[in-house]
Amino acid sequence: MSLYRSAVRLLPACLRVTSRRALVTSSARTKDHDLHLPTPAGPLGTWATLKPRPEKYVDTEADIDPSVTDPLRHPDYFGVRELFTMSDLFDARVHLGHREGSLNPYMAEFLLGSRLGHCVFDLERTAQLLRDALNFTAHIAYRGGIIMFVCRSPQHVHMVERTAMECGEFSHCRHWPPGVFTDSTALFGGVTRLPDLLVLLNTLDTVLEQHGAVKHAAKMLIPTVGVVDSNCDPRLVTYPVPGNDDSTTAVRLYCKLFSEAIRRGKAEREKSAVV
Amino acid sequence: MNFIWMLFPTQIDKFWDIAKKGAVVIMSLGRVRVLEALWRLPATRLSASTVCPTVCRPLSSAGARSGPTSPDPQEQAGQVQQRPAKNTSKAMMAYLERATKHEEFMRKQVHEFEIGKRHLANMMGEDPEHFTQEDVDRAIEYLFPTGIFDKKARPKMRHPTEVFPQQKAAQFDATGRPFHTLFYTLKPNFYMTLYELVEKMNQLDRLQAKNDALGKLPDTTQKLSLLGSEWLDIEELGKMLVETLKEPQYQEFVRAMNRLVEHPLAYHHKDFIFKYRKMLRVSNETDTVPELLFDSAGRPYMEATGYRKRAVARAVVHGRGSGRVTVNGLPLVHYFHRDGGRSGNQDVAQVMYPLQVAGVLDSVDVEATVQYDGPTQRYHGKRRRGHRKRTSFVPEPWKRPHPVQAPSSQAGAVRHAVSLALRSFVDKEMQETMRLAGLLTRDVRERERYKPGKKGSRKGRTWKKR
Repeated sequence: MSLYRSAVRLLPACLRVTSRRALVTSSARTKDHDLHLPTPAGPLGTWATLKPRPEKYVDTEADIDPSVTDPLRHPDYFGVRELFTMSDLFDARVHLGHREGSLNPYMAEFLLGSRLGHCVFDLERTAQLLRDALNFTAHIAYRGGIIMFVCRSPQHVHMVERTAMECGEFSHCRHWPPGVFTDSTALFGGVTRLPDLLVLLNTLDTVLEQHGAVKHAAKMLIPTVGVVDSNCDPRLVTYPVPGNDDSTTAVRLYCKLFSEAIRRGKAEREKSAVV
Repeated sequence: MNFIWMLFPTQIDKFWDIAKKGAVVIMSLGRVRVLEALWRLPATRLSASTVCPTVCRPLSSAGARSGPTSPDPQEQAGQVQQRPAKNTSKAMMAYLERATKHEEFMRKQVHEFEIGKRHLANMMGEDPEHFTQEDVDRAIEYLFPTGIFDKKARPKMRHPTEVFPQQKAAQFDATGRPFHTLFYTLKPNFYMTLYELVEKMNQLDRLQAKNDALGKLPDTTQKLSLLGSEWLDIEELGKMLVETLKEPQYQEFVRAMNRLVEHPLAYHHKDFIFKYRKMLRVSNETDTVPELLFDSAGRPYMEATGYRKRAVARAVVHGRGSGRVTVNGLPLVHYFHRDGGRSGNQDVAQVMYPLQVAGVLDSVDVEATVQYDGPTQRYHGKRRRGHRKRTSFVPEPWKRPHPVQAPSSQAGAVRHAVSLALRSFVDKEMQETMRLAGLLTRDVRERERYKPGKKGSRKGRTWKKR
């Protein structure tokens, strides 16, 4: 979004945001190999070392372009990229993180840096990841999956529950009893179909602890789409969306976007069912 | 724009079928990726028709069911819907199995109850066709006499629907998709109530803002009065919602409802608030005061029974009288002769008190009979030392029973009986005055039992330091 970028460039150098590398080390500039950032565990290494996503796969053996017949092969079947712009994210204050002191080291790569101690998200990266998340949500809705919204911020519980009701999906914005997923048969009194996607509008339960749903969904192979703030741990979230999870404007925007993605998925499903 | 292939079938066993076909599955950081092996599968296998089940619930009905206007949970309970759908999910199949078992069980229980009722009627020599629940209770009480104090612990025979708890009907459709939007919270009805509460609060806030702009004040004539009612307690609320609630959840509910009630415009949602309140019954409103009876001379009279400790009194109060009070055939002051010197005759004062309060001291006659049915009271007279020879057997003064046994309890019983009878002679205001004076309440205080290790009920034995 050019306005955002030009605004940053117009700032005098002394007031410009400091680089994200300076966040973790001392004030003196250091090279990458001197950084003591912990590497996320796992066979794929750090986020930064992940291979860039390949361009559109073209099957030369196919007679017709599969992206026309198969929704999964289409790069953006539901047109989620038109649902928002970077200026919408900026206006909704999605770029505002918490202070440097509460920064989770695994979130450092999603930041542009910090300004007067407040972390600032890289909205280009956020936009990219948000488009992926919305696309995935729409595909799940298209396939008749159960989508469950989770939010533990008391001032947003009502909004999120209403969003879930309006798009015909489910929500769980209350106290999370451990065992809802892992011991569902006992808690629900019988074999229960669990959600096929979790949309977490904030991944923290209290100020300090991660919501149990993140870990339990990972255990039960349920994919998660989660808005991760600068104090959250993005590692177990399948589709992290780095951004502000505290401002009401931001949460309202997320609710609007996810409900629209779900509606598009369901509309497409009805259309294909009718046809 | 690039995308990542994801395959999440509706049933977990389908996922493992695909895995067995040779696709390599890598799990990392919570992600499930199906690699190029799947890309080579023919397109038909992965078309929407196989992955998306053909049985799909139309959105309009799903939306309607998951909205706040879901049917009353108590109406839903007990209805089993048999859906022999082809694509029935495991969840639905398990539910159907459970539901049919429960239905079978209930049918058997009801059948046994009906048969048992007929046997009971035959035993009691009554008509089995017209044997009501009251007759059943009477019969059980007769056949199984019990001294157990707790009424809930006594044997009883009730219809199985009253004994076994209600079960919720199917919470999800054939594909396993739940109906209620808050199903996964484990208490959908309860949290739906809280949601509606907040919705109403927001509505009232918006209305107040609008009124403020117009300069309109809340209507004080319609102000909600919560007198004479209280919130349903945790068990009653749980029964109403068909969900067991925990104490913190209930406290949250009560706090939220109190906040709604405090809103100046809360009267707009009176029905919603009173759905969760139970009316308290005031006993004097429900106790019907009997009409005056008339004897052959046309004189009005009323009979009543009064109790105090182990004494039972029966009083007949005649109107158009002159203030004569007799107890067990004797005049009042002769029967109750316990004189307290300067403090007067306490027992007589107790009996006269209701007549004094009602202002009918010289306009009614009272005939009372009273019985004391407790242990014989012995009153200590003067104990003299030294041997005293007795010619015939006469117990010592301190061992002789008093002529009028337990006079204060007898007087109290007579007072209670007279007060109850007097209600028919006076108007509602005076009845309320008598109630406030404590005349109409049966004094339940009884003598406390003796405990071993003590001298009486409370007094301890002499304490010795060593």
